[in-house]
Amino acid sequence: MGLGLQMFVNALLLGGLYALMGIGFSLQWGISGIINLSYGAMVLLGSYLSLIIFNMFHIDPFISMFVTGAILFLLGAFIYRFTLQPLLKGGIVFTLIVTFAIRLIIENIILLVWSADYRTIRVSYAGSNFQFLGAFVPLTKFLTFIIAGVIIYLTYQFMMNTKIGKGIQAVALDKEGAMAVGVDDQKMYLINFALGTALGGVTGTLWATIYSFSPHVMDVIIGRVFIIAILGGLGNIWGAAAGGLLLAFVETSGAIFIGSHWQEAIGLVIMVLVLLLRPHGLIGKKFFG
Amino acid sequence: MSDNGVILDVRSISKHFGALKAVDKVNFQVKKGEIVGLIGPNGAGKTTITNLVTGELRKTEGEVHFKGINVSNMQPFQIARIGLTRTYQVVKPLQGMTVEENILVGSLFGRSDRENDLNSARKTTHHIMELVGLEKKKDSKVSDVTLPDLKRMEFARVLAMDPEVIFLDEVMAGLNPSEVEESMELVKNIRAEKQLTIVYIEHIMKAVMGISDRIIVLHHGQKICEGSPTEVCDNPAVIEAYLGKKYAKEVISG
Amino acid sequence: MIAQNDRKLNINIILIVAALIIFILLPNYISGYYTRIFTAIFMYATIAQCINLMSGYMGYLPFGHVMFFGIGAYISAILMKTGLPVFVAIPAACFCAIVISIILGFPVLRLRGHYFAIATIGMNGAIMTVVQNATEITGGARGTTFPIITVPPAVVYKYFYLAMFGLMVITSLVMNMIVNSKFGFGIRSIKANEDAANSMGINTTFTKVSTWAIAAMFTSIAGGLYGYWMSFIAPDEVFDLMFITNSIIMMLIGGAGTILGPIFGAFIVETVSEVAWSGFMQYHLAALGIATIIIVFFIPRGLIGTITDKMRNRRIKLSKKTEVTNV
Repeated sequence: MGLGLQMFVNALLLGGLYALMGIGFSLQWGISGIINLSYGAMVLLGSYLSLIIFNMFHIDPFISMFVTGAILFLLGAFIYRFTLQPLLKGGIVFTLIVTFAIRLIIENIILLVWSADYRTIRVSYAGSNFQFLGAFVPLTKFLTFIIAGVIIYLTYQFMMNTKIGKGIQAVALDKEGAMAVGVDDQKMYLINFALGTALGGVTGTLWATIYSFSPHVMDVIIGRVFIIAILGGLGNIWGAAAGGLLLAFVETSGAIFIGSHWQEAIGLVIMVLVLLLRPHGLIGKKFFG
Repeated sequence: MSDNGVILDVRSISKHFGALKAVDKVNFQVKKGEIVGLIGPNGAGKTTITNLVTGELRKTEGEVHFKGINVSNMQPFQIARIGLTRTYQVVKPLQGMTVEENILVGSLFGRSDRENDLNSARKTTHHIMELVGLEKKKDSKVSDVTLPDLKRMEFARVLAMDPEVIFLDEVMAGLNPSEVEESMELVKNIRAEKQLTIVYIEHIMKAVMGISDRIIVLHHGQKICEGSPTEVCDNPAVIEAYLGKKYAKEVISG
Repeated sequence: MIAQNDRKLNINIILIVAALIIFILLPNYISGYYTRIFTAIFMYATIAQCINLMSGYMGYLPFGHVMFFGIGAYISAILMKTGLPVFVAIPAACFCAIVISIILGFPVLRLRGHYFAIATIGMNGAIMTVVQNATEITGGARGTTFPIITVPPAVVYKYFYLAMFGLMVITSLVMNMIVNSKFGFGIRSIKANEDAANSMGINTTFTKVSTWAIAAMFTSIAGGLYGYWMSFIAPDEVFDLMFITNSIIMMLIGGAGTILGPIFGAFIVETVSEVAWSGFMQYHLAALGIATIIIVFFIPRGLIGTITDKMRNRRIKLSKKTEVTNV
C-alpha cells in the first residue's frame, strides 16, 4: 500500500510537468502544423533564463517564470514569423529541418554561455517536504504540479473564451471557413506557435526547480513531448494533459516492474501503437475536447 | 461477361457515415456501350457512389460486379487494372509532373494485362495527346496549366489507361458554356472511337440530357427514378427533388 | 536531334568514367586524413541517396531511417564475431534489414506526412533500446567491437575508401535506374498524389514497401561498412538521428529529387563542417544551423535542382522562339 501510494504520488507530480510540457508542443504541431524540433532547446532556454535571473537578481523561479514565459513568447513569434511562415508551402521537410537548425543554434549558444555541465537552481525551501496519507511529497514538486495545473486551465480558458483563442480554434477546425469570416489565419498560427513556445519556457523554469539540467536534456524532452502529443491527439489540450499523466504513470510503473532501462522503449512502443491504431490519439479527434 | 450485355452490376450498395445514410441500398446496371447519366441535387450521394464502385470507399453493405467479377473488396488499383476507372470532380493532377508524364503514368499502370514498357507507353501517350489536343502543353508542369486543360488532361489520363467503363464525375464543373460544349463533343467522339461505356455524373440535368441513353436520379442517397431522359424529365418525384414540393405541384397541375 | 542526344550521352559517359578513374586512384596521392574524409563523404552520399529516394521522390520522410544503419552495423558485428568473413556478414545483415523493413513497412507506411516521420523515429528509439538492453548479444549500451584487421592502417583506410566509393556509385546507379523506370513513375506518382496514383492502377502499398526495402538495403550496407571501418560501435552512435538530419540537409543542398544532388550535397556539407570544425570549433553547430536556414531560404530546390530548372526554362523559351519563327 505504502509503496503503491508513493508511486502514484510520484507519477502524478511528474505527470503535471509532462502535461504542461506536452501541451505547448502539441499546440504547435496540431494547430500551426509545425513539428518543432527546437522545442527541447526552447524548454531548456526557459531553465537557463531563470538560472540567470536567479543568480543575478535572486528572484525565485516561481516568480521569474512570468518573465521567461514572456521572453519565450516573443522568441517564438519571431522564429515563426521570419523562419517558418515563409516556408510553410515547402512541406514538412523544410519546417522540420529549419526547426532542427534553430535547435543547433540555441544549443550552441547554451554551450558557449553555460558549457555542457549540469546546472541546478537551489531555492531556499528546496529541501522542504510534507507527508500526504503517508506518502512523501517534496514541496517544489508539489508547487510545480499546482502551477502546471493552473496554467493548463488558463490556457484552456484562453482558447475557449477569448476572441483570439476562438480564432485559433476556428483556423484549426476549418481554415478556409475561418478566413472567409475574416479571421487572419497567419496571425492565429503565429500567436498559437508563440504560446506553445511560452508554455515550453515556463515548463523549463519549473523543471529547473526540481531537476538539474544540461544541453543533453534537450533530447530527453523532445522524445517525451512526441509521445505525449501523439497519445493525446495533436492540438488537443486535455488530450495532451492526459497523455502527460499517462506517460508519467507508464514510466514510473515501468521503471519499477520492468526495469528503468526499458523506460524509454515502453513509451516509444506505446506511441507507435497509438499512431498505427488510433492516429487521432487516445481521446479522439476533436480539438480542445 | 454476364448475360444481356450488362458490364457493371451494382447490387444494393450502402454507405453510412454514423447515422447519416449517404448512400442507401442503391441498385443499377450498366450495359456495354451505354452512356448512363447519374444525376441528383447536391449531396444526393453521386460522388459517394463513384467512390464505392471504384473501391476508394469501403461499402457498408452491397456488392459490385464488373464484367462478372465481384470487385466489392478490391482496392482501387486492382479495379482500375481490369478496366473500370474514373475522373475526379475536383481535378487531382500528379503535382510536380508535366502534362505528358501525367498521361504516361496512366498508360503505364492502367492495365495489368498489357505489354507496357516505357517506349510503348510513350507512343500511347503521344497518340492520346493528339486525340484530345494537348500536344502543345505536353512539357508544361501541371501547375502552369489552366483548369479546362487540366480537365482535358485528366480525361486523357483516363483514356490512356485503356478502360472499358469510365465514371466521369462532374467534368463540366468550373467550365464556361463554350468549354462545356467542346468537352461534350470530345467525349462523344472518343466514345464512338473507343467503344467506351460511360457513367456521367452531373447535378445540372440539362448537361446530361443530350448525350445520355438512360438516366438514374438520386436523392438523399436513394435511387428515386430511372429511365430515358424524357421519362425522367416528366417524373414528378424528380421535379420535386430538384425544385421543391410547391413548384412541383404547379408544374404538374399545369 | 538524335545525333545531338547521342553526343550528349557520350559526353556524360566520358565524364562519369573520368570521375571514376580519378576517385579510384585518388587515395594513392592523398594523406590518411583526407582519405577518411572522402570515405565519410561517400557514406553520407549513400544514406542521403536513400533518404532522397524515400523523401525526394516518394514524399515519405523516413526520419528514423538510421535504424537500418544501426541494424546493418550491429548484425555485421555479431556475425563477424562468430567468425564469419565480412563479405558474408554484411550481405546477411543487409538481408535482415530488408526483412525488417518489409515487416515494419506494411503498418507504418499506411501513415502519411508527419505521422510517418514520427513513427519511424519511435521505431528507431525502440530498436536502439532493445540493442542497449540485449547485453549478452550486442554488448549493451557500452557498445561492441569488430574483429581486428591485421593490415597496416594506411592500407585499411584505402580499402574502406574504395568500398564506400563503390557502394556510393552502385547506389547512385541503381537509384538512377529506378527513378527512370516504370516503377520510378509509380514512386513519383505517390509523392504527387497518392489517391490519384492508386486509382490509376498503381499498387501503392507494394510500391511504398519495396521502395523502403531498397532504401533499407543500401543504408544497412553503409552501416556494416561503417562499423567495420570504425572497428567499434555503440548504440547511441549508430542509431543517432544526426546521421539522418545531416543526410536530409545534404539532400536539400544538393537538390531533392535529383540523383546528383545527394552526392554534391554530401561533398559540400562534409567539407564545410570539416572547415567549421577546424576553424571555429566553438561555433560549428550554430554555423551549420545558420547555413541550413540560408540554403533553405535561397536555394530551396537545391544546387542541382536549381540548375536543371534553369536549363528546362531555357529550353522551353527556345522552343517557343522557334515556334514563332516557324509561323
